[in-house]
Amino acid sequence: MNFSNLLRHISFKHIKLNKTQLALIMGGICLGVAAIVSIDIVNHSVLASFESAINHISGRAALMVSGPEAGFPEEFIEQIQSVTGVEYAVPVIETNANLAQGQGRSLVILGVDVLQDHQIRNYAISDESADIPDPLLFLARPDSILLTRSLADREQIKLDQEVKVQTVAGIHTFKVRGLLNPEGPAKVAGGDMAVMDLAAAQLAFGKEGRIDHIDLSLLPGEQLDTVKTRIQKVLPAGYEIDTPAGRTKQVELLLIHFRKAIRLTGFMAIFVGMYLIYNSVSISVVQRRKEIGILRALGVRRGEIIALFLGETLVISLCGSLLGVLLGLAMAKLTIHTISQIITEVYLKTTITDIAWSWPTLFQNAAMGILAGLAAAAFPAIASSRISPISAIRSLPYAENGSAQSSKTKIAATITLLLAILLLMLHKITGGRQIADATHFAVVLILLCISLHTPIFLKWFLDIFHLLLSKRLGAGGRLAGLNLQKNLARNAVVVASIFCSITLFVCSACLIHSFRQSVFAYIDSIIRADIFVSSGHPMTTGGSPSIPMPAEMLKEFEEIPGVLMAEPYRKVYTHFNGKRVLLAAFDVTARLSYCPAMLADGNREDLLRLLPDKEYIAVNEGLSAQHGLKPGDKVMLPTPSGPHAFGVAAVVVDYASDSGCLWMDIQTYRRIYQDHLVDMYELRLKPNTEIEPVCTTILERMGQKRRIFALPAGEFKEEVRKMLNRSFVVTNAVNIITLLIAALGIIVTLLASVLERTREIGVLRSIGMLRTQVAAIVIIESALIGAAAGLLGAAVGLLIGRLELEAFFQLNMGASISFHVHYAATALAILLAIILSALAGLYPAHRAAKTNIVEALAYE
Amino acid sequence: MIELKNVSKQYRQGARAVYALKDVSLSIQKGEFLSIMGASGSGKSTLLNLVGGLDQPSAGEVFINAKPLHGISDSELTLIRRRQVGFIFQFFNLLPLLTAIENVGLPLLVDGLPFTRVKPMAEAILHKIGLAARAEHRPEQLSGGEMQRVAIARALITNPAVLLADEPTGNLDSHTGEEILLLLKSLHEQGQTIIMVTHDSKAAAYGTRIITLKDGALSQDVAIGGPLA
Repeated sequence: MNFSNLLRHISFKHIKLNKTQLALIMGGICLGVAAIVSIDIVNHSVLASFESAINHISGRAALMVSGPEAGFPEEFIEQIQSVTGVEYAVPVIETNANLAQGQGRSLVILGVDVLQDHQIRNYAISDESADIPDPLLFLARPDSILLTRSLADREQIKLDQEVKVQTVAGIHTFKVRGLLNPEGPAKVAGGDMAVMDLAAAQLAFGKEGRIDHIDLSLLPGEQLDTVKTRIQKVLPAGYEIDTPAGRTKQVELLLIHFRKAIRLTGFMAIFVGMYLIYNSVSISVVQRRKEIGILRALGVRRGEIIALFLGETLVISLCGSLLGVLLGLAMAKLTIHTISQIITEVYLKTTITDIAWSWPTLFQNAAMGILAGLAAAAFPAIASSRISPISAIRSLPYAENGSAQSSKTKIAATITLLLAILLLMLHKITGGRQIADATHFAVVLILLCISLHTPIFLKWFLDIFHLLLSKRLGAGGRLAGLNLQKNLARNAVVVASIFCSITLFVCSACLIHSFRQSVFAYIDSIIRADIFVSSGHPMTTGGSPSIPMPAEMLKEFEEIPGVLMAEPYRKVYTHFNGKRVLLAAFDVTARLSYCPAMLADGNREDLLRLLPDKEYIAVNEGLSAQHGLKPGDKVMLPTPSGPHAFGVAAVVVDYASDSGCLWMDIQTYRRIYQDHLVDMYELRLKPNTEIEPVCTTILERMGQKRRIFALPAGEFKEEVRKMLNRSFVVTNAVNIITLLIAALGIIVTLLASVLERTREIGVLRSIGMLRTQVAAIVIIESALIGAAAGLLGAAVGLLIGRLELEAFFQLNMGASISFHVHYAATALAILLAIILSALAGLYPAHRAAKTNIVEALAYE
Repeated sequence: MIELKNVSKQYRQGARAVYALKDVSLSIQKGEFLSIMGASGSGKSTLLNLVGGLDQPSAGEVFINAKPLHGISDSELTLIRRRQVGFIFQFFNLLPLLTAIENVGLPLLVDGLPFTRVKPMAEAILHKIGLAARAEHRPEQLSGGEMQRVAIARALITNPAVLLADEPTGNLDSHTGEEILLLLKSLHEQGQTIIMVTHDSKAAAYGTRIITLKDGALSQDVAIGGPLA
């Protein structure tokens, strides 16, 4: 009751009177929460999209049997069907295709057993196809296809019309025999899917005699685990028997690095937002010192004063967080398409049609914003309750005590530093795998430790400023420096918040730069062909819109005038020690004849001696580090005929997948996996052959039969660069948000500082200082804050970048990713800090310049 | 009613200990109008702060209505300030955010009473001190005298055991100052106990008893009409 009176009669009046300041603080919280909400929604939507696709495709299937990605023999269906407890076991081909008409839309193709599949999945046929007694029977004709109603509408395709689809065998013409209503499998990929007969799909997609998975339902009363064990007994080891939920979990594991990385940047936005709150509440406490004194004199208890400030923060954080949730929803909606594209390029094909959010998650994120606000406000609020009523009501001007750092702060800083060192040591000792997050915590602790030291840093910075520069800037420069020194602790909080965002900026710039440099060095070492040919966009790794091509095309390429050699490249995912890793199969002898290929362990001779057509593989550094693999070790890989032992010939540098990469000779691969498809042909040209005419010839000769991309090496590398840039788009966006929040912090602080110095500014104006001179002081102050924060942030950013590189990239990708300082970005960050700070000082400077002399001198 | 027994207050000025009050003993009866005089730095305000529970003594004991103000928790002391004491300051110390009526009602709002109940009480007091028409004005819209009258009304609203006035006319012109003193006098005549700190002997003469402090010690205690001690 008492608290509500204080809130209503005191706090709400403050809120009404200080609208600008509060709007800025609210803006900061709003941006922080928006960042975390949008990241959360995006993360959630990505998983939800996979989950929904898996569930829609699974239908009533309780279990799904899958083998190597290239498919496995269909003979297993009968064996599984005969297992006790299995009701129905149906084979499925699940692959990607492109429409070879319209915009070349990418499709998910389901190849199913037309007589059996309705036992597992429901297909709802739209009205105009309702006269089909059993629509799946129509698919028995190899040119039949079922499209979804929504796809047909989007592409303006009618029933019984012919459609051209890009398949492995080339462009095929199919007849639309029915349209599916958006139910069950027809909801997959937002409706961009088609159903075909199994045999027709096998033929069209180069999977004769093979299938991708077997979906099965259980007889009533049968236990899932019991049936699973029985199936395991009839299948060779290495096959996966999963529930639909288990498959979703696999996807979750695959995307874990991506999800973690963007979530971490989101937390940094909240972290910087906390500085903003801490700062603004500290300022508010100073400004309202007298009010606190009066209230204390009138009998308001300490706890009630703390509650008053926390209550105000709660109201502001609540409004900011609610706005943040709305903004976050909008941001998620705007970015989801880009994210979907990144995931498709880097991990797995996905079509996220809409954002997925839930009230509990939104509530959780809003609560996080509010809690972060309250936690940040707690310290100044507690400090406010210690204000003595006597000193406060005496109207004495507030002055901070002279020391830049209290002994308590020193102890806190030392403890945080020791904890950080301890965590880093633990990380080193355990090799980082057990406590991968240790470095992130250590980084947060280091940031805290340095934040606690910012008053000392600012003092040093201002001392140097006085020594070197202040005289050159005249009275304005000198006054600006002195003003900052007067409230060292408070200005240090702003420096801390800006330094944090600059640190983040420099750290991510250097990480991205290091990663990019290393990826380019790797690409340069392994990709040296002149032309890259694929049947779909080449820059897609996992389950892409790129449609594989038959192995027989090699001859066609070699016959093209000017082509010296053509080399097939196949990339599939395979299970390895419970993880989904990339298996790259290529002609090792041919490739190594012209590519230097970087090796981390082992030698080139071993690769050339052991891989070609032998049961040897090479593993990348990430896999080697995660599983302790070295040349000479044996590994087991699942193959269609069961687990197969391979020797490790060497440890190579390969960044194609953050979950791990394996190299295998393509002859070995074909022999063991019975897969003769090729994802890309890499062509080397004879000396002095022009690239463009060869590309044209390829398109002329093969473009009729399939959609072909023939990219010269330069363009291919440009595509890699674009893809890398896209994959960091979220990090960059959040960095910008963090910088904006820090800028809001500067405005809030400077505005408060100007209002507090009204009388002083009045005196300066009365003795003849021009409005522009007064404004210049404020702008110099803010630029100085920016410069101090920029320098500190750049230095700390480089240190933390080095630490994070080890935790984030080296652990997963290998030690060959070395740290590269991005000099331009570091310089830009310092410049940005100064410019942004000076810009943030414009409004407070305007307010200072407008000060009315008479009113200011009467100001108490 | 108010009892100070061997009260001392010591401050530290760097490494040096300074006594603001030294071994002061004093007894103030209900209904008294005590004026405290003394030179600047003699300990007048310190004494008032100790009686008002704004501060606690370094040594000695302070009682209001037999309740000790020394050696109790900050929370208990705060409640005594809220319910037993009414403060009037030289610089009024009104909250600039609040209107006159809200400033007057603030101690009751702080105590948890709803504004609907506080409002008529505050209106009645404002009416009593002749400021009913200024109820909705903010401090900045009031004259010095009006602000001090609002501060007096705020001090009175809890019906405190004692009214403590620290140089209540120090920031007012002589005419307005006299009006304020007359108001205090009339409150005293209605039975209100008042302790007023002033360095103006004319103002002090409105009291029924005047004590003088010198270097933190009691140097004179005079009842109007003859010395007490």
